[in-house]
Amino acid sequence: MNRLHFSWALVLTLALVTSCKKEEPAPEDENELITTVRLKFTENGTTTTQTFDWKDLDGEGGNAPTIASVGLKTNRTYKLEIEFLNESVTPVDNITEEIKEEADEHLVVITPQPANLLTYTYDDKDSRNYPIGLTGKIVTTSAATGTLQVQLRHQPPVGGVAVKNGTATPGSDDANVTFNVVVAP
Amino acid sequence: MWLGLFTVDVLFAQSPQACDCLIKGTVKDRETGQAIVGAILIVEGTNRNAITDTEGRYKIDKLCQGNYTIECKIIGYKTVKASVSLIHSAEEDINLTEEEVHLQDVEITAHRVQSSLSQKTIALEGKALEQNQGQTLGDALKVLNGVTLLQTGASIAKPVIHGLHSNRILIMNNGIRQEGQQWGSEHAPEIDPFVAKRVTVVQGASGVRYGSDAIGGVILVDPDELPKHSKISGEANIAAFSNGRMGVISGTLQGGISSWKGWAWRIQGTLKNGGNIRTPDYFLANTGVKEHNFSLTTGYRNSKVGAEVFYSQFHTNIGIFSGSHIGSTSDLLNVIKNGEPFIKAAFEREIERPNQLINHDLLKAKAFYNIGANRLTWTFGRQFNRRAEYDLHGPQAATKPALLFRLTTYTSDLVFEHAPIKGAINGQIGLSGLYQYNFTDGRPLIPDFDQANIGLFVIERWVRNQWELEAGLRYDWRQLDIFKFVGSTLSPRQHQFSSWSGTLGSVWNATEELSMRVNVGSAWRPPSPNELYSKGVHHGAAAYEEGNDQMQPETAYNLIGSIDYNRKHWQVEVGIYHNLIQNYIYLKPQAEPILTVRGAFPYFKYVQTNASFTGVDVDTRWEIIPKKLTHTAKISYLKAYDLQEKGYLVLIPANRIENTLKYNWAQVGKWENFYLSLTHLWVAQQKRVPPNSDFVDPPAAYHLWSVLIGGDWNKSIGWSLTAQNILDTAYRDYLNRFRYYSLEQGRNVSLRIKWNF
Repeated sequence: MNRLHFSWALVLTLALVTSCKKEEPAPEDENELITTVRLKFTENGTTTTQTFDWKDLDGEGGNAPTIASVGLKTNRTYKLEIEFLNESVTPVDNITEEIKEEADEHLVVITPQPANLLTYTYDDKDSRNYPIGLTGKIVTTSAATGTLQVQLRHQPPVGGVAVKNGTATPGSDDANVTFNVVVAP
Repeated sequence: MWLGLFTVDVLFAQSPQACDCLIKGTVKDRETGQAIVGAILIVEGTNRNAITDTEGRYKIDKLCQGNYTIECKIIGYKTVKASVSLIHSAEEDINLTEEEVHLQDVEITAHRVQSSLSQKTIALEGKALEQNQGQTLGDALKVLNGVTLLQTGASIAKPVIHGLHSNRILIMNNGIRQEGQQWGSEHAPEIDPFVAKRVTVVQGASGVRYGSDAIGGVILVDPDELPKHSKISGEANIAAFSNGRMGVISGTLQGGISSWKGWAWRIQGTLKNGGNIRTPDYFLANTGVKEHNFSLTTGYRNSKVGAEVFYSQFHTNIGIFSGSHIGSTSDLLNVIKNGEPFIKAAFEREIERPNQLINHDLLKAKAFYNIGANRLTWTFGRQFNRRAEYDLHGPQAATKPALLFRLTTYTSDLVFEHAPIKGAINGQIGLSGLYQYNFTDGRPLIPDFDQANIGLFVIERWVRNQWELEAGLRYDWRQLDIFKFVGSTLSPRQHQFSSWSGTLGSVWNATEELSMRVNVGSAWRPPSPNELYSKGVHHGAAAYEEGNDQMQPETAYNLIGSIDYNRKHWQVEVGIYHNLIQNYIYLKPQAEPILTVRGAFPYFKYVQTNASFTGVDVDTRWEIIPKKLTHTAKISYLKAYDLQEKGYLVLIPANRIENTLKYNWAQVGKWENFYLSLTHLWVAQQKRVPPNSDFVDPPAAYHLWSVLIGGDWNKSIGWSLTAQNILDTAYRDYLNRFRYYSLEQGRNVSLRIKWNF
């Protein structure tokens, strides 16, 4: 009788073991990757658009990113549109659209270095009237060289309370890239 | 019939004189662990006897050499008999079981000591365990000397033994090696501490008995034996914490089946709910925790065979402090510069992203068969660990975790314990197998893998006069198959590792008061998949980490010795260790940073070196006023050194001293065993760090005060009230990854009530 119980316990255990099935390994997919930050400059009064890319198609590590050098003319006003793309997948994933959808928790911060290299003003607003930074205006003056830092700040609510306040402080970087800039006549 | 009730711990002492032998020990209630006062011990065939004192202790001296049977009895408990082979002196700790009318057999059962006797072990059980229940397993263990915590905020705590953690210590959960994603510093053990009735820490390398990973030590988490009587009994635990406003309830119900003699069952469950943790100055956003766990056990046993099936589920949802989410190095430097989080929250129970959702299922089956005095035991385990990590990240995230690990592990162990040879040599031989496979989805971090391990070991123990000698040997072989993808093409890799482990130890019970033990043990650890293949930014550490697929296994050679001097009113225990680890794997900073879309990250590569961990643990106990006022001290010193680079190692716990003053009252009104204690902990600043290895210097030394009051009411209800960090001291700890972002938690007052029925 006792032996019988014992063997049933064993049979039950073995049944549980053998009923499991293993799946095949699959490649990882990063659902958050940004490979490309694209700056599109359109000079006021023209329809000519210059495009400069910061591009790292294989993501972190591996091959180093390729970074275009931004060339602008002195004493001009440009419309600046910024796009964030994942070009490691086909079709290319345009993350800009999703930033627009979640505009209340994203902010693009543009920082020229030196500060007088150019001036940037926001030209778009979210539902709470804070800038987003996907569209803006750049004004150049005299000839200079420097850098332009583009940060995509992700500022999601904390404890259900919105934290985006128009400054870079809250949240964390989704992108943080730097372009070399030459402003010449 | 040697089953689970009776701790036979025969310690030989004193010089051989014919009739100057001694037997002593403690008698406890098997269920509650409480001392039994007034139990009568009779040495059969002599006129010698003794009665246990108020702490359950007894002592019978001036016995002649020979074989004796001692009988222990008291009304309300089953009478227990034990055979003692007395050459010099012996220690018999007896656990009594409450009597049940229709049980006629008198069973004497031995609690087999799982670990090596010559290695230093420290256990947390009974009252000491209850006073620390309710938080994580790590929080309970940190009261043991030599054990510290590696933390990620307040809710993720990993135990550290003598400076080693994660893959370098092994947790045996109910006899099964816990297999989660131990390599991660933010991956805490997936164990409900309420399952345990006893948690034991085996210090030092223990590769022979436990296999790979037991480099720094082993943590044994053991539930109680199943009840042997059919009466239904149980316990209910309630714990409430002021910080995080956390509440925990846990209950156990157990019994037998009256019509099926020998069968028993137990069900156990725990619920936990906590909200945002508060530091002395502010709340930490999104630091809540929700947990629900249960376990079921059933088993049958008689004197010859027995079997047990255990099933448990562990579910937790842990909020990760949202201020710790950083996208780039400049985010981290900004928050360090700011000195406190940019966003301060209110109290909130809701858990948002980032968070971890972790499930761990364990099915265990165990059977034994006694062949004369030999015993064959088979233990089988299946574990499934699911770890989903959600990043704060949008914009695409939706409901998919950023990282999902699914790890399935099968273990099977067959152990044969042979009958004593010539009455002096005991031992066991065992075969243990492991097969596991892992799937990782989401952000590339570690590849999918599966691995198989086979180990064969033998341990023998020889006991004579005051001496015990122990020796063991083990061989392990492991095959690791990696399913690495280059783009979308599978590029499989295979690694094979093998290693010998050994142990040699001795115990010398010089006198009744003085004993010494020394052990040389080794253990190995094959490199884990992250050390071989990780490639990417470790978020939170703000570092780009890269593995090396040419890595060799780590091997530890550990020398540990301890001296225990035990007088009536004072006791000193000194443990000294030196752990030499060959091929020690660590992250070495590289000169050039890695440029990513989130800016430049410091670049670290996994490399191997030889490292040494040398330290001393001192425990003292002094009854200033006997049975009333006691002082205890714990001192822990550790120095870790990189022998190749001639420098220090990162993340080594700082030295510390803890002093406790405790006053006991036997009776206060209706309350019994009433006590009040005051504890002061001083943790030094860790000054032994490699230069330029961190974003910020290790935090300053700190002092913490805590108070504990407790007692029993009506024997069945025990309670305690604890105030940790009672002065609300603002401090940071070097082993908490969140030291960059925030202070440690502030005052935490907790109430614990336990009801036995």
